[in-house]
Amino acid sequence: MELEEIRVAVLRIEGTNCEEETVKAFKNLGVNAEAVHLKQFYSDTIKESEQRSLFDYHCLVIPGGFSAGDYVRAGAILSARLKSVLRRDLEIFIREGYPVLGICNGFQVLVELGALPGFDEDKPISEKPQMALTVNESARFECRPSLLKHENKCVFTNLLDLGRIVMFPVAHAEGRVVFPNDEVLDRLVENRQIVFRYVDEEGKYAGYPWNPNGSVFNIAGICNVKGNVFGLMPHPERVFWGYQQGRDDVYGDGAIVFKSVIDYLKKNF
Amino acid sequence: MYREIYPQVYEVNILDAKDEELIRISEEMGLALNLEEMKKIKVYFAKKGRNPTDIELQSIAQAWSEHCCYKSSKCYLREFLFGIERDYVISAIKEDAGVVEFDENYAYVVALESHNHPSAIEPYGGAATGIGGILRDVLCMGAQPIALVDPLFFGNLDVKELPKGVKHPLYLLYGVVAGIRDYGNRVGIPTVGGMVFFDESYITNCLVNVGCVGIVRKDRIVHSRVGNVGDIFVLVGGATGRDGIHGVTFASKELSEKSEEERGAVQLGNPIMKEPLIHACLEVVEKGLITGMKDLGGGGLSCVISEMSYASNCGAEVYLDKVHLKEEGMAPWEIYISESQERMMLTVRPEHVDDVLDVFKKWDVPAVVVGKAIEEKVVRVYWRGKKIYELDLDFLLGAVEYCRPYRVRRVERIDETSKPSDFKSVLIKMLEHPNVASKEWIVRQYDHEVRACTILKPLQGRINRETHGDCAVLKPTDSWRGLAITTDVNPWMTKIDPFWGTASSFDEMIRNLIAVNSIPHSFADCLNFGNPEKPERMGDFVQCVRALGWMARGFGLPCVSGNVSFYNETPYGCVAPTPTLMGIGIVEDVRRVVSSNFKGKGEIVLVGETLKEFGGSLFCKVTGQKSTVVPKTSPKRLKKYANAMLQAFKEFKVYSCHDLAEGGLAIALAEMCIGNCGCRVDLSCLKGEDYVKLFSESNTRWLVEVENGEDFVKFMRERGVSAYLVGEVGGDEIVIKDVLRVSVDEVERAWRRGLAKFTG
Repeated sequence: MELEEIRVAVLRIEGTNCEEETVKAFKNLGVNAEAVHLKQFYSDTIKESEQRSLFDYHCLVIPGGFSAGDYVRAGAILSARLKSVLRRDLEIFIREGYPVLGICNGFQVLVELGALPGFDEDKPISEKPQMALTVNESARFECRPSLLKHENKCVFTNLLDLGRIVMFPVAHAEGRVVFPNDEVLDRLVENRQIVFRYVDEEGKYAGYPWNPNGSVFNIAGICNVKGNVFGLMPHPERVFWGYQQGRDDVYGDGAIVFKSVIDYLKKNF
Repeated sequence: MYREIYPQVYEVNILDAKDEELIRISEEMGLALNLEEMKKIKVYFAKKGRNPTDIELQSIAQAWSEHCCYKSSKCYLREFLFGIERDYVISAIKEDAGVVEFDENYAYVVALESHNHPSAIEPYGGAATGIGGILRDVLCMGAQPIALVDPLFFGNLDVKELPKGVKHPLYLLYGVVAGIRDYGNRVGIPTVGGMVFFDESYITNCLVNVGCVGIVRKDRIVHSRVGNVGDIFVLVGGATGRDGIHGVTFASKELSEKSEEERGAVQLGNPIMKEPLIHACLEVVEKGLITGMKDLGGGGLSCVISEMSYASNCGAEVYLDKVHLKEEGMAPWEIYISESQERMMLTVRPEHVDDVLDVFKKWDVPAVVVGKAIEEKVVRVYWRGKKIYELDLDFLLGAVEYCRPYRVRRVERIDETSKPSDFKSVLIKMLEHPNVASKEWIVRQYDHEVRACTILKPLQGRINRETHGDCAVLKPTDSWRGLAITTDVNPWMTKIDPFWGTASSFDEMIRNLIAVNSIPHSFADCLNFGNPEKPERMGDFVQCVRALGWMARGFGLPCVSGNVSFYNETPYGCVAPTPTLMGIGIVEDVRRVVSSNFKGKGEIVLVGETLKEFGGSLFCKVTGQKSTVVPKTSPKRLKKYANAMLQAFKEFKVYSCHDLAEGGLAIALAEMCIGNCGCRVDLSCLKGEDYVKLFSESNTRWLVEVENGEDFVKFMRERGVSAYLVGEVGGDEIVIKDVLRVSVDEVERAWRRGLAKFTG
């Protein structure tokens, strides 16, 4: 696929609030990207020119924010709405290998939806959630830089060398990865689904504040078994540019996520 | 005295009322109007030959409240502060927010407000709706909000005894921070700065000030007035309820232990209505569908309709039963003055109404037609087909203003300070003081990076060892140009000497803007004071405004927006005069901003002169020594220093820069070292005693880390500016030759535990 053919949807509903910077990041790399309201996928009150199908796009991003206010468990409402209107489409989308990214609240949504950890390739959305992103160990919202070690590749990190440490900031109150039992963690490790883990300045796995939420196994981001659904708590779009990190380079650490998926789409579709 | 003329509408017999009855009516209806004002109303209706309805009286009370009409402050603000002309100011003071040129294509929008009274009663809801209100003030100019700031003032956290009915400052701090966090984070606008100040004078009245900056394309600026006669009023956003009734009259009197009963005056916020409301409003602005826009804040519909019409020299017809409500059974007067949140008023040409309604439908935001602009300067309100309200706008909005009497206190300048026995323990106590100590517990709860435009963050330096910065810097557009934002005031100084304290606060604001390499461009003020009916409070107010005007005019910095909050007092006491300032600087290239932490590469230069000025200082606070010598400054001198610094930033590679404020040189050095970078300093080149050199809080001073200190000093001196090479960065200790030696580790621990020991 040519670069300019690639179309990216950044999903929005009331309360999602990182869609603009996420769209900008994609656009800067030369692909078509737009913020799409969930209603545009199903509602007949939408003008025809603004109606959309998931299959108009090659990549779906669920951005950060507080979808629907997140007054109940983070991500629960948006995932329920997604399930009711887009589940079948999403399953096909994922099975066909199209990439799906969830950043922060988007990660919470993918977990609530059952698209992550996504152990079953044929049934990419499980009936029930298999893990949770719960309240930070500090019991507070935490906005701070975090250092991530790249442990396994997925379609969103293909271009990043293994073992490299990057800085993406976190900003969330519910980001602590927990599992119902050890088996889930074992499978994630075995399947090489753990993409990023929190580390300290020396690259060691460390506790708070390096692990800002107390995640089990210092997990910051995971992918599904196929590697095309990726969720992470830290925000790569906030370090897309070098200047956002106080660096002279054009691109910041986060750009690699966007570059990788574009590279994947170019090569595979 | 009251007679129901239509269902839920009462006529109030004031024509036959004697003075004491007039006062009783004001009290019974919660109008907060005094006898003179009630008499004025009586005269007006006598001329009309009829009695007013309850909705008319309520509406007048809103319009005449201190909160809405600035009746006590206007004449002094005009005399001293307004009218500092700069050609880049697009709109100052007149509207809800100031609008200033950013570059060829864009303007930035500035607003700063208080939300004190509600926050003292209900900290979470009060602070949250404060954010909501300031966002609407910026939005109604057609601007995208891009940053929030929150200067907060509380009583001392270690307070032992609380007056009856007063909430503990720690409870208030928790509630206010949570309110700002939950609203600001949800609505997706970064909270990038602010300040937190603890002083016993805030024990019965905490102050919650909120500021917002937005960005708008110049050709899309919208004004808070009706476009044309015949335009349709469209009310958009949340439904109207009984929350927030009498918010402005509540805010226009002193709090008491009974204020708790007025919790209903505090509005409820819903950020998840606000977020799509912002999108929808910006979309109709972008499409050019509206002729005017104003937010519904204090005084609700009553204020918004009358003010938008008055500003365009026209009037309005209002169909009150069209307003969508949260609950049934609300009386017309309640609907008309409710301050329910998340509402905006648009004026639209009739042919565009359908298009506007469509946009709001897409965003699931309610929008209804509620009125029409008419030629006569009158507002008429209809309720189920009946006219229940008819007031002349000239009477409603042009009627009251007081030049209240004031008494200026004399400040004797006395200094009884002396050398402390142990420099190190003074330094540690200073670092631990909650006014200086790390605010990480607060800052990290606010998302300060959402929108991905925050270039210089509130905490700067080594990861997880960051120190405080002087300003936040944002990059609002695609160009490299940026905006620096700071908020400043020193209430310890204003408490002793309102004039020099305010001048010092202005000086500090400029210093902070300079420190990050930005050009001071404009400012907003939020003036928090006690009861203006008391001459000594008014005297403090006048002195503050006079100092602000003197500094701003001399420096050439326009005041583009502001807010006055009086009655921050209870029978137990009154807040320190608190003229909060929010400074905005232009950063020519965000890649050239300077942060405050030492980079470990250079030599240290002190810019500025140090005198024995300890009035309101942190040194006096922690040692218990006495001084009323509040630091002086001068706008001309400040300008000279500021210009020299900005030139130096162009000539030299400046690694770090920090202004000297609370705690003087010692604290500035310590803050720059946080993150484990030590320094060796020799102050023998300065005149005076060691404790003065280290701890005095003289204005117009900075510390700078540069590669070649001598060249830098020479450069500054050639421009008539004092500068001294005082040391170099390195090691893991702070060493002040012959005076003090302490490890950075110990310094950092003290600084980090100061607030954390209370907040956990």
